[in-house]
Amino acid sequence: MASPIADLTYRNYDGPLEPPVNRWWAIAKMSMRLSIKKKGFWVWSVISAYWYLILLAVFYFVDSGSQAVAASGQQNPFFKNIVWKDQFLNGFATAQLLMFVLALMLGSGAIANDNRANALLVYLSKPCSKLDYVIGKWLGIFVLISLVSAVPSLIFYGYCLLSYRSYGFVSQDPWLIFRLLGMVLIPGFFHASVSLGISSLFQQGRLAGATYAAFYFFGLFFTKAMQSIVAVSDMNMATGSGGGAPDIVKNLYYCSVDGIQIALAKIFLHTDGSPLISPPGGIGAKFGVVPMPSFWIFVPAYFGICALFMILAWSRIRAVEVVG
Amino acid sequence: MTIASVHNLVVRYGHFTALNGLSCEIPEGCTGLLGPNGAGKTTLLKTILGFVKPVSGSASILGLDIVEAGNAIRQKVGLMPEQDCHIPGMTAVQFVAYAGELAGMPASQALRRAHEVLDYCGLGEARYRNVETYSTGMKQRIKLAQALVHGPKLLLLDEPTNGLDPAGREDMLELVRSVSHGKGLNVLVSSHLLPDIERVCDRVIVVMKGELKAQGTIKDLKKIEGQPIDIELRELCPGFVSALQSKGASVMLPKRTTYRIQMPGLPEDAAQIVMQVAKDSGAQIRGFVQAERSLEDAFMDAISSVSPPIASSPNPGGNA
Repeated sequence: MASPIADLTYRNYDGPLEPPVNRWWAIAKMSMRLSIKKKGFWVWSVISAYWYLILLAVFYFVDSGSQAVAASGQQNPFFKNIVWKDQFLNGFATAQLLMFVLALMLGSGAIANDNRANALLVYLSKPCSKLDYVIGKWLGIFVLISLVSAVPSLIFYGYCLLSYRSYGFVSQDPWLIFRLLGMVLIPGFFHASVSLGISSLFQQGRLAGATYAAFYFFGLFFTKAMQSIVAVSDMNMATGSGGGAPDIVKNLYYCSVDGIQIALAKIFLHTDGSPLISPPGGIGAKFGVVPMPSFWIFVPAYFGICALFMILAWSRIRAVEVVG
Repeated sequence: MTIASVHNLVVRYGHFTALNGLSCEIPEGCTGLLGPNGAGKTTLLKTILGFVKPVSGSASILGLDIVEAGNAIRQKVGLMPEQDCHIPGMTAVQFVAYAGELAGMPASQALRRAHEVLDYCGLGEARYRNVETYSTGMKQRIKLAQALVHGPKLLLLDEPTNGLDPAGREDMLELVRSVSHGKGLNVLVSSHLLPDIERVCDRVIVVMKGELKAQGTIKDLKKIEGQPIDIELRELCPGFVSALQSKGASVMLPKRTTYRIQMPGLPEDAAQIVMQVAKDSGAQIRGFVQAERSLEDAFMDAISSVSPPIASSPNPGGNA
């Protein structure tokens, strides 16, 4: 029972209030706080680093299994032939599907669930603009996906830096760390923008997720078809029975959710990519590899798509339904 | 002091005019915004908050222009919307604290205040439950809590008793009444439920088809022209009636033993005459009150009038 002197009636708040600007940071913090509470986020984040884990294991066993070569003063041919930045490209490319799963988890319900629960009335009745809302939601997805993308890449970079400088890890590309820092932001930027745009069209996160998934897998199928054409053309060229794949096919390879991100990663890393271990002939083996695309086509296309979906999200945010 | 003033406000949704040159003054205290469904009450609230841009006209809330100072207004105003609204995936305390942070409160203050407000709104025991699991009554309360958390100067309540059972409605009205009287908080309650408005508000603004129909204190609105008196007698007394009629009074028998009397001259003189006539005719007076109509009658009169607003003067400084 309350004390007879306890004042249980309403008291107005007269404490400090911050100026009514930049509410996006509060929204971003809360979005991230809710996302990291999901077990799935952590599970898929760990799984998305699987390629780096495989590489670390392979490198470790190759290293420790070739002590005799090292003792003779010769360089290990396995490491000698590696194009280091291509390993990061491979890690990036293999994580794409998992980044997409994370994007579905974090982004598909970001606005759709708020639409369902009329949460926009809560947000917009506070000193919080449409722009604050979109930026806050976008940042909440972008930061998490970028961190998931960055952590394994940077750990692998640190491991290689400490272990393989004598195999040209630094000398092959002294600016690799900066290229990597740019590359790890690609999926976060893209998925945050596209998933928000799609999410704003729906009242249910599941429907938004299904739509993005349809968009993603249709594009993936298209990409794989183009990749097959390139591979067959390369094989024909190697056997002398035909020419290489036309440039249009090589560009179309990048026309998907994964493709455009891989295109940008290649541009950032300034490489065409290569298999894990180059065949005899050393650095630069390119069989079946789609070359780096044009900067002037894909960088504007990437940012254009992101901007388009952000504008879509912004335009769909309303506190009230306005009928025409 | 006036907390909000609206001048010739016109708001359109496409070709539909929701507010048609509305002008009104909202004084301090608790004011009811009355009108039938579709009258433009919610549109007025949304325009005040900057959700809808007016086509013409102007309005200022707490001295701030609604077009130029939307964010500053929203920091000083709390909205309890008509629809269910919450942020998915949050417990009540998280939700209310987050609403406080959105309004500009430091995180630690917002959390402390969220506990306080939830307790006050009767959700103390359920504060760690996910809001999505709440009953309708609890959802109404949490909407009130999120509107109150940052200590607004003006609270906008849109149909606060929607969907509540009688007990829940009583509780909600009691909550609204207690926050709106003597706590430095001004409240604008939008509703089409006259008993709710009469219970919690001192003044009303009647809106119909986007136009102002009446405004003033509830007491003024309920007044009847000519200031008649209701006299309740122990039993019907024809001698009393005829004596009054001989003195120029018009007498009606509105219900059982109560006569409604309208006399020429001052009310004090009328009282004296009535007492004298009662003494002379042997009628036993049990009640003597100034007659007033119900708020429902006043409301029906207001919305059926085609003339300019019937209301009394706004009297911004006064309380009922």
